[in-house]
This record gives sequence, structure tokens and C-alpha cells, in this order.
Amino acid sequence: MKWRTEQMDTYLNAKEYVDTAIIPLMPVDWNNDPKGKVSMGEFTTLLVDELERQFKGRVFQIPPFVYLTSEDDTAKRNRLLAWDKHFFNNGFKYIIYVTSDGEWKRLEKELPDMLLWIPSLSLEAMDESYAKQIVDQQMKQILPLIANKWREEPAERS
Amino acid sequence: MSEKEHKVSRRQFLTYSLVGVGGFMAASAISPMVRFALDPALEAGGESDYVAVTTVDQLSEEPQRFDFQVEVVDAWYTSNQPRSAWIYKEGDEIIALSPQCTHLGCTVNWNANEDHPNQFYCPCHDGRFEKSGQNVANTPPTRPLDIYEMEVRDGTVYLGKTIERKTV
Ligand code: FES
Repeated sequence: MKWRTEQMDTYLNAKEYVDTAIIPLMPVDWNNDPKGKVSMGEFTTLLVDELERQFKGRVFQIPPFVYLTSEDDTAKRNRLLAWDKHFFNNGFKYIIYVTSDGEWKRLEKELPDMLLWIPSLSLEAMDESYAKQIVDQQMKQILPLIANKWREEPAERS
Repeated sequence: MSEKEHKVSRRQFLTYSLVGVGGFMAASAISPMVRFALDPALEAGGESDYVAVTTVDQLSEEPQRFDFQVEVVDAWYTSNQPRSAWIYKEGDEIIALSPQCTHLGCTVNWNANEDHPNQFYCPCHDGRFEKSGQNVANTPPTRPLDIYEMEVRDGTVYLGKTIERKTV
């Protein structure tokens, strides 16, 4: 489901079925390679939109968690933990963070739930059908990861 | 210009402008309702233009997934949005089903669950549908998969909007 009022009505009537929150993680840096950061955000959005299309009835697409790349690791992680906790305590048993920013790899062990890190490809040079193939290929790998996750017990939060 | 004419024309102007404002207010009072009325239709794929999706010689008895794009006008901007269809042949008949699970809208897949071969399977809450699109009893969906309006011209399959069905 998407962040739209009319979809909230569906959600509120079917809460018990929607147990997964998807949070895109997007870096901002206007000093060091701003275009690279934009490209990361764009690629993440593309993947998350497609994930939502595949799993519409079980996932909620949360607005992006945005941060300056200069924000220090602890502060950034703590902020994300607060988001995680908020959604976990409010009905989402599974929370998936999706990003193209490799920095999160270092913090993965400190995160309570599933990190999907997908390195961004620059789509601007590709024609549309090729870009679509790329996204489809990524999807083929990501969808089973999520389906498997649903077969497991939700991760414990401390 | 005489005084009389002047008055008339001013009254006319006022009348016009009142009508104008009234019309405008009515429009803004009505448009939210119109949007509500339209939205479910848009959700169900209210696009009425037909889009070329595949050719007949690509089709088989086995449902295959075809992806295409439709132009969607959403309030104030137009975008291309991805759509998919499961299409198969049955004798001379061609059937194009919407992949949207009628429970809460996840994308269903053909033959994707080992325990339930030759059915459409929804990964979200184990919803299932027969090949015809008929929902399987005791799974969450309560109606069959929607079917696409379809036209075949010169060997090309064109799909239009989706149609809800009560039963198959
Ligand atoms: S969305 Fe398909 S079973 Fe719930």
C-alpha cells in the first residue's frame, strides 16, 4: 500500500493482513557527488515502487528515511531504530530497509531487521526497456528473499 | 453610453460574475465527489484505451505473463504505469487475466507453489485461483481475478480495462 489517504482506508479495514513496512533509506550530500546520491535515491524508489506493486496487500510503503551523509553513524542508526520501533510497536511485524547506499552495510549487524542493499545503476544512459530488464532481474532475486522472510518468525526487538 | 444602459450592463456584469462564482463553488463542491466516484474505477484499471501487448503466435495453453505500460492521468499529471496480464489460449479463445489478487492486490503468479500446481498463487496470504481465474474456496480472495477487455487485430492482442467478475 502506498502513502495515500484512499489506501489508508483499505489499510485500516485490513490491518491484520498488512504486517510489513518498507522504509527506503536515502542519502543526501550536496557537497560530495550530489548526482551520485540522487541516483541512489532514484534507483531505490524504482525498486521500492516495484516491490509495492508485487506485494501491495501485505506491505506498506513508508516515506523515505532521509539523512545527510555527514550525520554520524550512531545518530543515524539511533534515528532509524526509533522509526523501526515506532512501526514495530504499531502493528508491523516485519520491517525492511531498502537502500543503495553501501554505508549501511557497515551498520547492518546493528539493525533489528532486514536490510536490502542494492547498488544503484545509473539508469539515465539506458533505454527504458533495458532499464526495465535490470529492475526485473533485481526483483527476481529480491522477491524470494522477502517471501522467505515471511516464513520466519519476526525478529525480536529489545 | 446612457445612464440606463450603463446600469444594465453593470447588473449584467454582476449577474455574470455571480454565476461565475457560483459555478466555481459548485464545481469545487462536486469535484471531490467525482473523484471518489472515479477512484475505484481507476484502481480497477479504468483506462479505456487499448494497448498492444503481444501477438497471438506467442500464446500457449499455459498462462504466460506479459508486461506492458498504460498512460494514467492522475489528477494533474500523466504517467506511464506498469501493468501485467496472464494470457493463455483455450482452443480458439484467448483469455487475459489481471494479476492483481482480489483480496488486497498483490501480484499473483502461475504455478508458483509446489503444493498447488496449475493454479495462480498469491504470496501475500496464500490466496489461490483456478486457471480460469475462479477463486479457490477457503483462501482469502472472495471473487475471481479480473479479466481484461481484449481485442485481436491482425494477429496482435490488445488489452483494455479490467472487468470485475462475480463468478467465472
Ligand atoms: S492479497 Fe492475495 S491473498 Fe491477500
